[in-house]
Amino acid sequence: MAGDQTPLVSIDKLRVEFRGEDGPIVGVEDISFSIAPGETVCVVGESGSGKSVTSLSLMRLVEFGGGRITSGRLGFSLNGKQIDLAQADTQTMQAIRGDEIGMIFQEPMTSLNPVFTIERQMTDGLRVHRGQSRSAARARALELLQQVRIPEPEQRLKQYPHELSGGMRQRVVIAMAMACEPRLLIADEPTTALDVTIQAEILALIDRLKRETGMAVLFITHDMAVVAQMADRVVVMYRGNLVEEGPVERIFADPQEEYTRKLLAAVPRLGEMRGKSAPEPMRLVGETASNAPVTPIDVDPKPLLQVHNLTTRYPVKGGLFRRTIANVHAVEDVSFDIPRGQTLALVGESGCGKSSCGRSILRLSEPTSGEVLLDQTDILALSSRDLRRRAWRDMQMVFQDPFASLNPYMRLRDQVTEPIRNFGIHTGSAVEDRVSELFDRVELPRAFMSRFPHELSGGQRQRIAIARALAVNPKLIIADEAVSALDVSVQAQVLNLMMELQAELGISYLFISHDMAVVERVAHRVGVMYLGRLVEIGSRQQIFENPQHSYTKSLLSAVPVADPTKRNIHDDLNFRPIPSPVFPLGYKSKPSTYDEVAPAHLVLQNEVGLDAAPE
Amino acid sequence: MKVPAAFRNTKGIVGAVVVLTVLAVAILAPLLIPADWATRMDMRARLSAPTWAHPLGTDQLGRDLMFRVLLGAQTSIFIASAAVLMSIVIGLPLGLISGYMGKTTDNVLMRLVDTLLSFPALLLALTISAVLGPNLQNTIIAIGIAFTPFLARIIRGEALRVAQMPYVEAARTAGNSDLRLITLHILPNIMPVVIVQATISLAFAILAEAGLSFLGLGTQPPDASWGLMIQASRDYLDRAPWTALVPGAAVALTVLGLNMFGDALRDALDPRTRGEA
Amino acid sequence: MSYILNRVFSMMLTLFLISAITFAVTNILPGDVAMMIMGTQSNPEALAGLRETLGLNDPLLMQYGRWIGGMLTGDWGSSLVFKEPIAPLLLQKMTASGLLVLFSMTIALACAVPLGVWAAVHANRWQDTAASSTAMLGVSLPDFFWGIMLILLFARGLGWLPSSGFVDPADDLGAAIRHALLPSLALGLGLMAHLTRMTRATMTGILKQEFIRVARAKGLNESTVVWRYGLANAVGPVMTVAGLQVGYLFGSIIVIESLFNYTGMGWLTYQALLNRDIPLIQASVFVIAAVVMLANLLVDLLYAVVDPRIRLS
Repeated sequence: MAGDQTPLVSIDKLRVEFRGEDGPIVGVEDISFSIAPGETVCVVGESGSGKSVTSLSLMRLVEFGGGRITSGRLGFSLNGKQIDLAQADTQTMQAIRGDEIGMIFQEPMTSLNPVFTIERQMTDGLRVHRGQSRSAARARALELLQQVRIPEPEQRLKQYPHELSGGMRQRVVIAMAMACEPRLLIADEPTTALDVTIQAEILALIDRLKRETGMAVLFITHDMAVVAQMADRVVVMYRGNLVEEGPVERIFADPQEEYTRKLLAAVPRLGEMRGKSAPEPMRLVGETASNAPVTPIDVDPKPLLQVHNLTTRYPVKGGLFRRTIANVHAVEDVSFDIPRGQTLALVGESGCGKSSCGRSILRLSEPTSGEVLLDQTDILALSSRDLRRRAWRDMQMVFQDPFASLNPYMRLRDQVTEPIRNFGIHTGSAVEDRVSELFDRVELPRAFMSRFPHELSGGQRQRIAIARALAVNPKLIIADEAVSALDVSVQAQVLNLMMELQAELGISYLFISHDMAVVERVAHRVGVMYLGRLVEIGSRQQIFENPQHSYTKSLLSAVPVADPTKRNIHDDLNFRPIPSPVFPLGYKSKPSTYDEVAPAHLVLQNEVGLDAAPE
Repeated sequence: MKVPAAFRNTKGIVGAVVVLTVLAVAILAPLLIPADWATRMDMRARLSAPTWAHPLGTDQLGRDLMFRVLLGAQTSIFIASAAVLMSIVIGLPLGLISGYMGKTTDNVLMRLVDTLLSFPALLLALTISAVLGPNLQNTIIAIGIAFTPFLARIIRGEALRVAQMPYVEAARTAGNSDLRLITLHILPNIMPVVIVQATISLAFAILAEAGLSFLGLGTQPPDASWGLMIQASRDYLDRAPWTALVPGAAVALTVLGLNMFGDALRDALDPRTRGEA
Repeated sequence: MSYILNRVFSMMLTLFLISAITFAVTNILPGDVAMMIMGTQSNPEALAGLRETLGLNDPLLMQYGRWIGGMLTGDWGSSLVFKEPIAPLLLQKMTASGLLVLFSMTIALACAVPLGVWAAVHANRWQDTAASSTAMLGVSLPDFFWGIMLILLFARGLGWLPSSGFVDPADDLGAAIRHALLPSLALGLGLMAHLTRMTRATMTGILKQEFIRVARAKGLNESTVVWRYGLANAVGPVMTVAGLQVGYLFGSIIVIESLFNYTGMGWLTYQALLNRDIPLIQASVFVIAAVVMLANLLVDLLYAVVDPRIRLS
């Protein structure tokens, strides 16, 4: 598609610096690439690669964040002439922004001004660039809302942003960017903050708009799967420099650079585990670790953890005296087992109750009813004293945010030592030996022991969190989105470590995640949650290769596959929005009833949500 | 490391220098300057403008303003520090308990604190001081009590935020008792906010002491504080404005130093604003 | 609707607590009305008699009940110093102080908001340094220091404005404003400095938000981005801070009114405190706290008007 047309954008030797406390910090060192009309170029890289800085520079918005374009050309073809955006004055840039180039950002929740109506925000660009009257701009806004398939557009114009869901807001932001029919749309991580079904919708929308209008798209992302779905050409960035550039098929099939190969090897691809019964560590470039399958070595016929009819509700307070006026049904009649040495993954979109479920099992949130048996011990019956002594001796948790899960004012050694001392697992010099051993075990140098958390990277912190959880020799570790905040290469290493530990120590995991591709890698069994209910549970192969519940199917169809030859989300999609989990007081939910479609493969029979009639 | 970051900007350095200077004066002046230099009355030079003999002028009794200001530092700083210390000693446990326990305890305590916040701090301090009878000790108590609700509110908010952090939950599952959780995991993490608030409260306490003494409901003679000096100057403003300006400038300079240092500390330490500004 | 009802009920509870705290502060602490009326040198028998007639020997709870009952039925008692019924006295003085608070708040907001926005737009550049340093100096000067400077400059030096006294606006509006101007300025300058700092901080935060970037990406010019998109979001928080400062102002008027001999609420309270006029202290402390609370309630309700997100909850 690039052909020998004159490019729409040609970036040449761009260099961007930021003011730092100790002199300038280089955001982008030396970047050159071009975008042809009608082409989608994906810029991909991990955090700190400078991919966002590049896109902000093109809009000259980088200056508002303290950055400065110190050298290079930003060629842009305007009315048949090439102009250099790096040298353009404020007026020229204001005329180009929103007219020639539209831009959308990562956070749909904060992308719209909370105190203005949708109409005002959609029309002001039109009135500035096109000089349209209020009514003409309003008519165009309506047309745009229809174009991005927003239901009841008349209604929406009068609303404020907080009245719309995240996916809806991102559609509004896209409609806003499309208002003046730009020739280039810059999308800076537009789906990173969204659930997978909404991500699929937004990706499909951007792709359709591109085909309908013939605009070019500069798509910034960290997600190789999204790249595979969207890109015509790919630009790989690393630490402010361009690593590799080429057509998407070539980049995925035959990466030339070591860094690209590493990056691609670390990406789990949905479907690549097809036909395998046990999880397998990933084969990472430059690592010699074995990737033997983690075969369950369960000799005990009794499962380690049994969860029966677990229900957790959170009160919604309001009115006089802050009474409880409704309940959030976070976890609703959920039952499952986890055998020794195996991993059960709970998957679902935000708000489905998967985290609440994990927290309820540990009693970090107090369940409303149900039964949790860990090695035949009734966890929910324990006093708070016994909970500390017995339950947490056997179950530990690894949290999502590596920057928030370690006490910033405590040395790493002390954080790992705490559980050993509190539970009296070792005494005297044995404690020190055990801590050293744990640092070795999670592959961190012993020199880190006297450091503080802020001296570590995200991946290293997550290793400490794992060491702390391992310190008590737990039988079960609940990993709540434990790798979600990590860059993909670090994520792969931590996942491999977790699988190694399982193979060696026979630990069980409750692996809570929104990422289907990761789950396919690590899980023996998978449970799919929706609106507090477990809608389907079965072996990994059963769920991924033969999904039965309609929600499981739509979830799987929405996952972008990291393979440009298998584009699966280019039809215009519209998934059913997830209903509210808030139920009136005294609402009696029906018990969950399951259909066993295959041995140990259960599918929920109930209708879920408020529309479903109560018992 | 974190603390030196407060000194990395000009505001922090200037603030720290001013605060340290005032502290040095408060501690050293009484040791180096004979007390009677500030009370010696020079009857021939009453309300004298600044001269070589009296660089900052004299008051209505012919007392040297420079020595009075230097020696008055001790009283003003002592009252302010003691009052802030008192409000922390009461407010810190209150805020911690309220934030950590939550539920009814929190509701009741915070309703009380919110109500107390409806009383202007200066009014509360003046009333307490008037009812108890104005003197140095009661000035401390009055300011201390008046400042407590505000501190308790801030500490409670911070304790609530920290108590919900994953590292506190992780520490809970690591088998720590409530006491260990509060002292080892929550307290150290709210200390930055406490330190910043203490610095800023110190500035307000100096202003409050000056206000109370100015109205005659704070420090009483023969104790000499800056507020008291300003009060004494009220009848001589026309003839000798320096009698008000000299102690007023001392108050302003100290408060300015504390505010600047507090601001810089906040930029460096307060997790809620860290990275901003 | 239920939101407003909820707030009104909560307000009643707070008023009750305010009365209880007022009563507690003036009673539980050592100090005795009878002694205050008759002086420490008085005859013990007469003192005991007075205690009996004033009901000071009754249990505290009963005394409180009598007091709050009086307050509710409009019988606020008489001032020991002014020998006048308290209720009409307070009403008159509150009007005088209301004028000051209104003036100073208007002056402060009118200057602080533009200055704060300007500083935030030029964050960490010389304009910001200049504005922020001035504001920092402003918050560090005691109010009475401002007052003294203003008296020296405008009254003694230039002779433009009177330095002392109060004139009822009903008698002579011009004179009333001229008398209120200097005390209002003395109150307003410190307030302005404080609000400038708050506006700057709020706007700095807002200007980093994504929707500001989106507005710029639409090609809106910078003044629209800052003064419409940005400022519209700062109105609520700045208003809240301004509301909280009403409390600060009602503390400061005690100092400023007595400095300027402006016979308002602050001056009255000061006289009551100096003379240990317990009934008057109780009534004025209660009224000031109630007014401060009402001001904050009003701000909360106004917030719902400027921020659509609050309306639903």
